[in-house]
Amino acid sequence: MLLPEPDQTILCRRDEIISALKRFVPAGAVIDDDTTMAAYDTDGLSAYRNQPLVVVLPETTQQVAAVMKWCRDNDVKIVPRGAGTSLSGGAIPLADGVLLGLGKFNRILDIDFINRTVTAQPGVTNLGITQAVQDEGFYYAPDPSSQIACSIGGNIAENSGGVHCLKYGLTTNNVLGIEMVTMDGEILRLGGKHLDSGHLDVLGVMTGSEGLLGVVTEVTVRILRKPATQRALLVGFDTVQDGGQAVSDVIAAGIIPAGMEMMDNPAINAAEDFVNAGYPREAAALLIIELDGPEAEVDVLIKRVSEIVKASGASSIRISQSEEERNQFWAGRKSAFPAVGRISPDYLCMDGTIPRKALPEMLTRMSAMSQKFGLRVANVFHAGDGNLHPLILFDANADGELHRAEEFGAEILRTCVELGGVLTGEHGVGVEKRDLMTEMFTEDDLKQQQRLKCAFDPQHLLNPGKVFPVLHRCAELGRLHVHQGKLPHPDIPRF
Amino acid sequence: MNGMTVWQPKTGEQVTDIVTSALAERRKLSVSGHETKAGLGHPVDAKESLSLKNLSGIVDYQPEELVLVVKAGTPLDEIEKTLSEKNQMLAFEPPHLERFYGTKSTGTIGGLVATNLSGPRRVSAGAARDFLLGFAAVSGRGDVFKSGSRVMKNVTGYDLSKLMCGSFGTLAVMTEITLKVLPCPETSSSLSLLCDTIDSAQLALANAFCSDTEPSGGAISRTSEGWKAVIRLEGVDVSVRDRMTKLKSTLQSAGTSQVLDKQASEAFWGDWRDISMISDDAEQVYRLSVTPSDAPKIASSLLKAYDLELGFDWMGGLIWIGGKGAGLGQKVRQTIKDFNGHATLMRGTEGHRRDVGVFQPQAAPLAALARRIKNAFDPEDILNSGKMGTIGRGA
Repeated sequence: MLLPEPDQTILCRRDEIISALKRFVPAGAVIDDDTTMAAYDTDGLSAYRNQPLVVVLPETTQQVAAVMKWCRDNDVKIVPRGAGTSLSGGAIPLADGVLLGLGKFNRILDIDFINRTVTAQPGVTNLGITQAVQDEGFYYAPDPSSQIACSIGGNIAENSGGVHCLKYGLTTNNVLGIEMVTMDGEILRLGGKHLDSGHLDVLGVMTGSEGLLGVVTEVTVRILRKPATQRALLVGFDTVQDGGQAVSDVIAAGIIPAGMEMMDNPAINAAEDFVNAGYPREAAALLIIELDGPEAEVDVLIKRVSEIVKASGASSIRISQSEEERNQFWAGRKSAFPAVGRISPDYLCMDGTIPRKALPEMLTRMSAMSQKFGLRVANVFHAGDGNLHPLILFDANADGELHRAEEFGAEILRTCVELGGVLTGEHGVGVEKRDLMTEMFTEDDLKQQQRLKCAFDPQHLLNPGKVFPVLHRCAELGRLHVHQGKLPHPDIPRF
Repeated sequence: MNGMTVWQPKTGEQVTDIVTSALAERRKLSVSGHETKAGLGHPVDAKESLSLKNLSGIVDYQPEELVLVVKAGTPLDEIEKTLSEKNQMLAFEPPHLERFYGTKSTGTIGGLVATNLSGPRRVSAGAARDFLLGFAAVSGRGDVFKSGSRVMKNVTGYDLSKLMCGSFGTLAVMTEITLKVLPCPETSSSLSLLCDTIDSAQLALANAFCSDTEPSGGAISRTSEGWKAVIRLEGVDVSVRDRMTKLKSTLQSAGTSQVLDKQASEAFWGDWRDISMISDDAEQVYRLSVTPSDAPKIASSLLKAYDLELGFDWMGGLIWIGGKGAGLGQKVRQTIKDFNGHATLMRGTEGHRRDVGVFQPQAAPLAALARRIKNAFDPEDILNSGKMGTIGRGA
């Protein structure tokens, strides 16, 4: 996984760049000593590390704008960073780039229950938004598993999901407005507390742009009233085919559960060893199906879902009778990653999405791959929306295992695309999946995406080296190759 | 249309050929489906028309995957019929604008996505833009490209689907469209409350949406007796009944209440979706997207100066107004500017559209960015030139 070769002239200008940056931010907001900078060397993709040129921690939008404008004028790259929890390396620094940390933007600016919105600075954590409104019975719906640490600004950059996406959507479906700064240093306000704004949906395309188009400095999100009741079913299956079928059957019956999570046998046992959640160890697949809403509705749906999964071949069904029991059902799933971490020195977490009906085939193929690469794999899925999180177990100290694990992961993702799915459902492309982009997109697809990048950042200064396997110069991308004289198909009706 | 060349491709390849040859000669194309929304947006500067009406049909529909893939020129009513056979729907509740624009067709899915029009359920389920999973298109550069996919959860690459939604065909010609569909609610029922003022009606809506009764629609209608707030509940039967009891008790002091059964509720929301609050006589019609709690102030300010037809949707966040008068457009623009939001001129003569613009003016840096985005897709401005106003004109 190579980042672009650092620009030596920038490295030579380091002192000059540091003193320039100090003019725009308060004393202490520029960090240039190796020890303190070490905290910023990596993000959630910790297999990769890189020391930034310098770290800047601005406190106001104006400071962000001044830093960015100066960097644009002086041809200096910028890597924006929220909480640094990206699992795809979106915030991995560049040796010749300024790391722009938004950690000081940590205040909630407005809570508006009448309009059901919260406006926050980008460094506020995802959970921090829910915590600010939960006493009044509200919450913010997207709930990535890193929600205790990840920032709302980072959620915008990555279009973060979570276990409740099927019913409540990803970040993009829950954000109403942002303030952002472009690489030019222009401050833009998009949306607000109102819905659709007309004009081109720049807010929509900013969401999930992985810090390549602009830096988010303020966020307005929609909050929801907490559902009156939440109950869950814990359903075991003798085969993964039956489990996959059950997922399709529930949805085909017109039921959209709040969450529908699946674990395979290795994941079930790892979780059971770790937290004793009472999972059926012999099951080939386990489904947690959560229903939420008014009590009367949840009662009816619980009954319907248990009949459906019985018909799909469930070998065991438990229905939560209390909040305590529901939390116990989730305990194993929520600790699946650390549980797997306990049985293996290292693991890689993949993040492809496939059409739900391809689940059994995917699992069959994955166990063949596991044989081929000689590495174990445990699977947890957001089954409701087809989002897979295979955990590939390996030992980084064993010769060649990291490389084999990466090859295994790449083959999984290629298979996702082959089965009609995508490379990443919620973790982002970053550096991790950058070189696989051509599996899913043609050269023309990728060039069109890069032309959009050129509209925001023609010098490729903002977070370069992420998302795109090949960086084309904007002048080259803008050139028109017109096929002179090519006449339309003669058989097209024309009036 | 007189004397205009009209291209009617039947395949995506033919669309590419038409765009490529137009580009070679810098000929501008007016891109359309059934031309049912020609009255929306600025008049297009083009002597040739690219109609997608023959690029029609359902490519793939998988109810248990909640996914529908269609060609861009597929009629909306055909799609809705296919979905209803499997008890599914386009959850953003697209309006049917035949009466409003005086046309014969419900229009095509391409036109609907290009205009990002959504109905009453927008407030709970999301807009058209939230249901576009992916697309294939031909850019103004003549390049075939795609974005998104057929799965629900996807963050691979930029989300160009969002950009296509509401771009009025100015960036690329969509040829294939992939949508997320949802199951139809089992039943529905609405609570209607007669309130003394707009403020109390809007407050009733806000309180309903802040309760745990999960409304899927919130409208205010002006009647001869007063302001009528209407709140819709949808879901399984026992749940709707249960929530209705709760909603009534939450709002018992808000006004005289009446419960609309499934049939009456569906009739009301069907009409509301199709802009029934505005008559055929209204010369100018504006659609205002605003912060819901600002709606009473905005409406009062406009009503003080003009005699208007009006109605509210989206918990108050969407105001429809119809009226006439030379200064109405400027008054609407100024009011929205004071409160933050967006006003779209949905119906008006070419003169009105030119004088007050169809869209709310943008801040200069944002307008410049929009032009650069247009340029990234259609550098010669051959697709629906002028449809979104100055975008792409370099002005």
